[in-house]
Amino acid sequence: MKKRFLKPTEDPLWLRLFLGAVAIAFIAILLLLPLALVFKEAFANGIGAFWIAIKEPDTLASVRLSLIAAGIAVPLNMVFGIAAAWCITKYDFPGKTFLVTLIDLPFSVSPVVAGLIYVLVFGAQGWFGRSLADNNIHILFAVPGIVLATIFVTFPFVARELIPLMADQGCDEEEAAATLGATGLQTFLRVTLPNIKWGLLYGVLLCNARALGEFGAVSVVSGHIRGVTNTMPLHVQLLYDNYDYPGAFTVAALLAMLALLTLALKSLLEWRYADELAAAHRH
Amino acid sequence: MKIMSAIGLKLFPLRSRHVLPGFRLSLGFTLFYLISLVLIPLLALVIRPMELGPSGFWAAISTPRVLASLRLSFGMALAAAVIDSFFGVIIAWVLVRYRFPGKGFLDAVIDLPFSLPTAVAGIALSTLYAPNGWIGSVLAEYGIRVAYTPYGVLVAMVFISLPFTVRTVQPVMAELGLEVEEAAATLGATRLQTLARVVLPMLWPAVLTGMAMAFARAAGEYGSIIFIAGNIPAVSEIAPLLIITKLEQYDYAGAAAIGVVMLAASFVMLLALNGLQSWAAKRR
Amino acid sequence: MSLTVDSVAKKFGRFPALNGASFVAPQGGFVSLLGPSGSGKTTLLRILGGLEFADSGSVRFVDLNWLDMPARTRNAGFVFQQYALFKHMTVADNIAFGLKVRPRNRRPSSADIHKRVTELLDLVQLSGLEARYPSQLSGGQRQRVALARALAIEPRMLLLDEPFGALDAKVRKELRTDLRRIHDHAGVTTVFVTHDQEEAFAVADLVAVMKDGRIEQYGAPADVRRNPTTAFVSEFLSA
Repeated sequence: MKKRFLKPTEDPLWLRLFLGAVAIAFIAILLLLPLALVFKEAFANGIGAFWIAIKEPDTLASVRLSLIAAGIAVPLNMVFGIAAAWCITKYDFPGKTFLVTLIDLPFSVSPVVAGLIYVLVFGAQGWFGRSLADNNIHILFAVPGIVLATIFVTFPFVARELIPLMADQGCDEEEAAATLGATGLQTFLRVTLPNIKWGLLYGVLLCNARALGEFGAVSVVSGHIRGVTNTMPLHVQLLYDNYDYPGAFTVAALLAMLALLTLALKSLLEWRYADELAAAHRH
Repeated sequence: MKIMSAIGLKLFPLRSRHVLPGFRLSLGFTLFYLISLVLIPLLALVIRPMELGPSGFWAAISTPRVLASLRLSFGMALAAAVIDSFFGVIIAWVLVRYRFPGKGFLDAVIDLPFSLPTAVAGIALSTLYAPNGWIGSVLAEYGIRVAYTPYGVLVAMVFISLPFTVRTVQPVMAELGLEVEEAAATLGATRLQTLARVVLPMLWPAVLTGMAMAFARAAGEYGSIIFIAGNIPAVSEIAPLLIITKLEQYDYAGAAAIGVVMLAASFVMLLALNGLQSWAAKRR
Repeated sequence: MSLTVDSVAKKFGRFPALNGASFVAPQGGFVSLLGPSGSGKTTLLRILGGLEFADSGSVRFVDLNWLDMPARTRNAGFVFQQYALFKHMTVADNIAFGLKVRPRNRRPSSADIHKRVTELLDLVQLSGLEARYPSQLSGGQRQRVALARALAIEPRMLLLDEPFGALDAKVRKELRTDLRRIHDHAGVTTVFVTHDQEEAFAVADLVAVMKDGRIEQYGAPADVRRNPTTAFVSEFLSA
């Protein structure tokens, strides 16, 4: 047997152990410990207590509201994402790069500012506040405001997933379909959609997770009316602030399970359909 | 909206690319959606503080409480971005270059702060770092208090921003290629010299980009911070919370003034990011 | 006083990349490893450079047990097909790298390093470009920098892995003439991997034609060309 050295591209054992330990310890303390705590607190009094806390009417109302908000915001952002990706990747027009930057904008805006802007438009002292009040239309401190704020913060997810993906794929296939006599809708449904379905699902998944979990923006526009305008994350805050820790952690655990499910599906998509997701995710 | 898409069509008469239908519809919908849901509300934010006038605007943001909150949000965000970049590079390196059982799990867990609702993170961190919590009780033995102090703000920001640094550096690291490291070794460099003089410098643009993204996210963060911060005015009160406080006092213009400062900061970050990216592209 | 490669074998998993390759070259010689892709020529070169490890066999160079030394101490300059330049360093810093990473007691003074860089730039005909970054150079210029960088450490051996593979025909020819001139000037033992027979015959003193991890025929270019000893070699050369 030949004497073996480390390859020049391998780290020495001590360095591997050291960096590995630092990375694992940092992730464990910073990320895993809080997660473990949520489940420990939620199930501290057994699974029975967990179910009772969930069945509490205000909690159920918050679940319903979160589902409604996500149920409206996610499909709308999906349609927007497809439309934006379609016009950006299939055509050339002036100001295209600027448009892409604008689509990313909500990611760099504080969630509280995202809520604030809708207060400034629809609030009592806002642009349309007076006329809305005169016509007895409620946007702020009601479901529409919550939906609007949710749309804003989850705005870019689908679009930014699809744009690089569709740009990669070009438009040869669509043009071929068009020359074969397919209508626009047929081309989209039979050619484009099958090519982007996994990327679309990936974007929708992230969009949905954020929609269900959004706190800052929704907090500003909700008004925190118990059982009426409290989403799940807001209900967590309300319970926590009222020192109902088991209740707060129960709802938190429910949200954490959703987060873990999202992560699992996301990893599955990245692993199984790596080639069909945008280049940015191939690592 | 019709007008805008019509302009788009007129300036760009049918080319070969336009054999595909739906340009007018998709661009029209995109612009309508973007303008009505994002741009008009943002315009309201910029216009609102104007009613204060320049001196009123300055007065609204220069009170000691507001300045302290801005300093806290941006200062701690910078610290969190630096901490996350340091550990983010190590974590990315371990994930890209080492092989060990459970790596896939570790890789997936990095995105937890992206998918875990911030309020959940907030109450968990707060309980964890409280003087009687799992971590807080250990720190208390050394006389360190984290929860309900500015350090609590830092902990929450480090939590929320970690994925940005890891996920920005990781793909660049994966594409680095082993040849430069091999070249360095054949030229006589030790492994540490190769890492310090060849690998790390090539990662700098990605590290800085990740740092900027982490900073932007942390500076605007609200949900995960307010539970652990204690929210003591001028001590551990972050700027986004102060916006909400002003709104609750019906001081719309004052709230908008702080919002504008934060928005301007994120614009500067966005510009800096673009600058960074073109700088990095030039060296490729 | 020579390079003796004796029955070197290497497997990647279950795929045998080298099946006992052997050749002897005089010190200061210029050997071309020629063969189709998958013939093991790059693997052999990387083993000589310390970038891969042989499963069995031995290599002696001068009086050194070559395979028992790590890449770092072999002092063998390696030139890669894709240049592998340090993108964040100027041309001058790239060339000086091997001198700057030496332990303090063997490191030349910065004035000496500067002098050496200037000489090497002159040798590879890139004078005046020392402040450029690799991205500002053409492919041919980049490979000249890589060559200068490998020569800066005053290598015992120069190893080149398809160095001109990424360049167009005209630049290839220029560079290969220059490589031969530089080799004759420095007198360093050189092993050169290529799949281009014209290039191999034009530049080397000795050509080793490889197939399936073995050396099919080894000799002076004229001999190999005139008397192919196996069907494979004659077929490969007539292609």
